[in-house]
Amino acid sequence: MTKEIQKNKILLASQKSKISKIIINAKNLERVYFNGVIKTYALKNISLNIKEGEFVAIMGPSGSGKSTLLHQLGLLDIPTKGTILIDNKDVVNLSDGERTKFRLKKLGYVFQSYNLIPELTALENVYITPMAQGITTEEYKKKARDILKKVGLGDRINHYPSELSGGQQQRVSIARALVNKPQILFADEPTANLDSDSSRETVKLFRQLNKEIGQTIVMVTHELEEGKKADRIIWVKDGILDVDKK
Amino acid sequence: MNKKDLKVIAFLAYKNIVKSKSTFLVIIAVMAMSFLSITFFAAIIDGLGYEFEEGMIEGLTGHLMIEPTKDNLYLENVDTLVKNIKRIPGVVGVAPRLESSVIAKYKNTEMGVPVFFINPQDEIKVSNFHESILLGDYLSEKDGNELIIGADLVQSYAQEDDTQKRLNINVGDTIKLSLSNGFVDEYKVKGIFKTGSKFSDDKILLNYGEYNKIFHTDDVASKILIKLPERGSEDYYKQKIIDLGVSDQINPWQTKMGAVKQFVGSLQITNKITGFIGLLTAFATIYIIIFINVTNKRKQIGILKAIGIKKEIILGSYVLQSIMYGVVGVIVGNLVMQGLLVLLTLHPLAMPIGDVIPILTTERLITTSVTLIFASIIAGFFPSRKAANDNILDAIFGG
Repeated sequence: MTKEIQKNKILLASQKSKISKIIINAKNLERVYFNGVIKTYALKNISLNIKEGEFVAIMGPSGSGKSTLLHQLGLLDIPTKGTILIDNKDVVNLSDGERTKFRLKKLGYVFQSYNLIPELTALENVYITPMAQGITTEEYKKKARDILKKVGLGDRINHYPSELSGGQQQRVSIARALVNKPQILFADEPTANLDSDSSRETVKLFRQLNKEIGQTIVMVTHELEEGKKADRIIWVKDGILDVDKK
Repeated sequence: MNKKDLKVIAFLAYKNIVKSKSTFLVIIAVMAMSFLSITFFAAIIDGLGYEFEEGMIEGLTGHLMIEPTKDNLYLENVDTLVKNIKRIPGVVGVAPRLESSVIAKYKNTEMGVPVFFINPQDEIKVSNFHESILLGDYLSEKDGNELIIGADLVQSYAQEDDTQKRLNINVGDTIKLSLSNGFVDEYKVKGIFKTGSKFSDDKILLNYGEYNKIFHTDDVASKILIKLPERGSEDYYKQKIIDLGVSDQINPWQTKMGAVKQFVGSLQITNKITGFIGLLTAFATIYIIIFINVTNKRKQIGILKAIGIKKEIILGSYVLQSIMYGVVGVIVGNLVMQGLLVLLTLHPLAMPIGDVIPILTTERLITTSVTLIFASIIAGFFPSRKAANDNILDAIFGG
């Protein structure tokens, strides 16, 4: 019994030390779209920090810039101004090739419309990124099988996306995002195309991953109920950081 | 690019092809059809040209032709010369000929006709008259006042709308022949021949001995035709004949083509132009099809980039797919073409000039294959490079 308590204390201490480290540091982010001479500000002067092991929800009304913010933090787009440090590395000024490598090794993505490759089975969709890292066939297949089992799709590994339900496809997409053990998992409205049961399951899975393995998660959502499941909600309105609260 | 990248390239290309079988089959069909459209027509034209040349070789020139020098009317000591040439290893046949022209008269029809005086046995190895008899029989050595006549001179073989003057004769009828020295005699039609060559089927053939009887000559010939084992060996055998001490003109068949050379040359130019246009059309068609295919995969290219797959891998997988389209399409096209060639060799195309067998030259085969494979690579490379260079969000969300 004493041993058990001690083990829990150590675990909690390691979680706390993890949480104290800042993994994302964004300063004065600005994203402007140019249409001829017309400038449209999608993001204006946004600064934020996200700690390692945090589960953060980015919320706001439609067109507020929440997805744009996620795309900047997740290296899918380049901000017009400002800096982003991920794990103390300046990621704004990386070359195209370096950004790709960084995404492969450090980041994972879950999109609103799953965005699986239709020609690949669930297993193949998941092992394509570890395969690209150059590990052995046995290793990447095992990794992919294990993670698919973890998201509850152990019996669907050889199915193509067209043979899976929306919820199942989203779970494959989560497995793909997690297979390389990314430092940060980015999820862009992951429940928007799902029914309420699947939505609940997906957010529950995120919470579970965050708690069990300390996975840092940055999730865009417009559902307050889902946002409340996160450690913290960052509110964005008209491209400006509105409220940032626990 | 390293081994692991190549593995991902091959994996993505393979999966794209096997999962999109219908797209693959459509592109392969278009590639194969393009291959056929370029090579088949060209092969027919080449076959047609070959047939024209063969008609001249079989009927008029042989592969080599010995002719008297400018100052002489005849070749002399022909018997010895023919025997010596026959002894050259590889020579297929040697046939001396005497040539003249006659006025042929049957009932009220009279017309000028070129005549070959031939040695029937020698001709069998050199020309194709013996195997072109439509009616009656081929000449024999013993035939004196008998002749065989080309179908183009016979009324019953004329096309309906052909108004050219012909003799309304049949096998067994007798024609009166008048020669330039005033000799007139009657000859019985022993056979009617049709070689399919316009250059042969307008002739009358008489026995070699008749010429000597009419013109009081001996051991002479207007020309000696030599049949070789194959085209292309003319220079070698010409030298062998020169080595026999022959001082007369020895001309390869190419120098005797005249109008045929111009006609075949025109066909070849036409062939080059249509071949080039065919290649351009095939290039454009293949480019458009692969372009549409790659453009439809723009979102997937964006996703692959987003999850960290290198641009070079994505580009490589699409180029590899294009190479597969090109190579498999060309192989299928080639197999179909070879099948057609076999079929048309067994059942040649019946054309007015004779039976035509399409000829696919190695040069054309290689040019067409390389161009189509190149077209498919270009068609795969540019659109996939554009998609791979696109902004990730534009590619995924269709910006």
